[in-house]
Amino acid sequence: MSGFLAKVLAECARFGAERPAVLWLLPLALLPLVSAPRRRAAWADLRAVPPDPLSRALAGLLWAAGCLAVTGLVAGISGPYRAGERVTRTGTGAEVSMLLDRSGSMNETFAGRQPSGEEEAKAAASRRILGEFVGSRAHDLFAVTAFSTAPMLVLPMTDRHDAVRAAIAAIDRPGLDYTNVGRGLAMALGQFGAASGHASRVLLLVSDGAAVIDPRMQDTLRAAFAKIRPNLYWLFLRTKGSPGIGDRPTGEDTPQAAPERHLDLFFKSLAVPYRAFEAEGPEAVAAAIRQIESLERDPIPYVEVRPRRDLAAWAYRLAALGLVLLVLAKLAEVDLARGRAGQGTARAPERRMAA
Amino acid sequence: MTEDARPGADIVYLPRWRARGNRVGAHRGRDAGGPGTFKDQVSFLRLPDARRLDLRATLRDPFENTYVRRFEARIAVEVWALVDLSASMRFRGTADRMALVGALCASLAASATRIGDGFGLLACDAAIREDLFLPATRGRAGAALAAARLAESVPAGASAAGLLAAAARIAGRPKMVFLISDFRWPPALLEQVFASLAFHDVVPVLLADPAEAEALPEWGLVELEDLEGSGSRLVLMRPALRRRWIARDAERLARLGRLARRYGRTPFRLAERFDPAALSRHLLGT
Repeated sequence: MSGFLAKVLAECARFGAERPAVLWLLPLALLPLVSAPRRRAAWADLRAVPPDPLSRALAGLLWAAGCLAVTGLVAGISGPYRAGERVTRTGTGAEVSMLLDRSGSMNETFAGRQPSGEEEAKAAASRRILGEFVGSRAHDLFAVTAFSTAPMLVLPMTDRHDAVRAAIAAIDRPGLDYTNVGRGLAMALGQFGAASGHASRVLLLVSDGAAVIDPRMQDTLRAAFAKIRPNLYWLFLRTKGSPGIGDRPTGEDTPQAAPERHLDLFFKSLAVPYRAFEAEGPEAVAAAIRQIESLERDPIPYVEVRPRRDLAAWAYRLAALGLVLLVLAKLAEVDLARGRAGQGTARAPERRMAA
Repeated sequence: MTEDARPGADIVYLPRWRARGNRVGAHRGRDAGGPGTFKDQVSFLRLPDARRLDLRATLRDPFENTYVRRFEARIAVEVWALVDLSASMRFRGTADRMALVGALCASLAASATRIGDGFGLLACDAAIREDLFLPATRGRAGAALAAARLAESVPAGASAAGLLAAAARIAGRPKMVFLISDFRWPPALLEQVFASLAFHDVVPVLLADPAEAEALPEWGLVELEDLEGSGSRLVLMRPALRRRWIARDAERLARLGRLARRYGRTPFRLAERFDPAALSRHLLGT
């Protein structure tokens, strides 16, 4: 009970007014009790009037309308508002940090050509499919990082999905240079906030190739992965004919000869949940994304921002409602005396015509 | 006061009882004497008045008594106007109630004093209004003056209970009493007033106004304020309510009519304008 009361009090405390001094005029709302600007007909005996609940209700209604009009006007002038707030809620989702490859090869099709006709570039396909992924769950948080030679921070962790979709939409701009995964990974890891608690964290790497990560960078990344412990997904957009993740090179098995295989090995050695998806076409990409989506279903706290709301319009609307009722009542009023005077004056024009 | 100017537009009233008294007037008396209509024959020994010998009755009597004719005395009665001055009489509908009362009293005063009857006036709200009191007088000027004073007075009382005191004041010989009111009283007072006036010949004059019932609008919003200070009330007029209203008013009048008939005469409805001839016809008919 007291908890409920406290909640109600907290709710009330959020209402405020720009000019609270005006609210001292609120007792004016009782004016309709004292008198109403209605024409009164002197009557011999009210007991002769048959009791009528409808009239009684109407009198009450008009009184309320008068009070409402005055209250609404005073409240409207005082400038009422409801203060904004940040509400932390729990939903289902994950913190997803996307690391997108912007190297020049992303602009090619899965067949390794420049796109023509109905063919779709790898970047365009991943844009489309990732865009759908972003919209599908309401409470996911996303960060977008792109990388080629150097990493680019595109969008920090946010729940504004429109912004995320816009950031993803930008990845099919013509790509830049080479692939430098190491620094990109470092920046993508840096996107995870420190205090996000129990939320499940996903690092989604979308790339069509790999590169050698130098050993010093490897140590830094290892430390960062150990600290943040994200679930790592690698969506490898494999060009037809190029070596896959698992393929051993024919020659020497060095990182330079088979960077994909060695990146995969590096990821496996990180001791974080890791899965790699090798996609050789848009359908495979979509299937991989669906799988990721179904895996990441943990409760996540998210912050909902309620902006400050101006309530003056509502106050004026209520006042207008009351005033309209009062004006209607005024228009419906009949004057018993004037009705009788009307009978007398009705004959006057005839006389004038006769004269 | 146009009624005043019309000669011959007197209120003709016939008392229901044979008046006693020694003041010569226009109404049939109970006692014999005077130049009135034939009453009976009595023996000459009882009334030794040789001028009125009834020769035919004397000759017809086998016992050879001598008979003398007796005639009814013409007696003056007192006419009293008992006026309710409670605030509801201030109502102004199609006509001003007090103007109607003034016209009626002036006409009554003129009609009564013209034929030698005394005219008295008692106006009451919660008590008798002594400033408007007129003891029964045959003086024409005084009676007319009192009626004019009454027409100018402003009713303000919250009740008409003073009529009981007025009834006590005019107790005594039977009188012709015009009880002038709108009869918007509590039922108990209505009963008491009629009972206290039962000894007299009471003519209730009901002041009505079409604006109070028949002339009400079909639709509209009206705020009514009680003249007797019992607040105000908002009424949404509509045909159904108007019908109920008129029915309620008719029922009230019917109840008043039943009560008044039990004590003598049906009420005379005075509305819109005062017509002495209509009142005379009503008095002849009841």
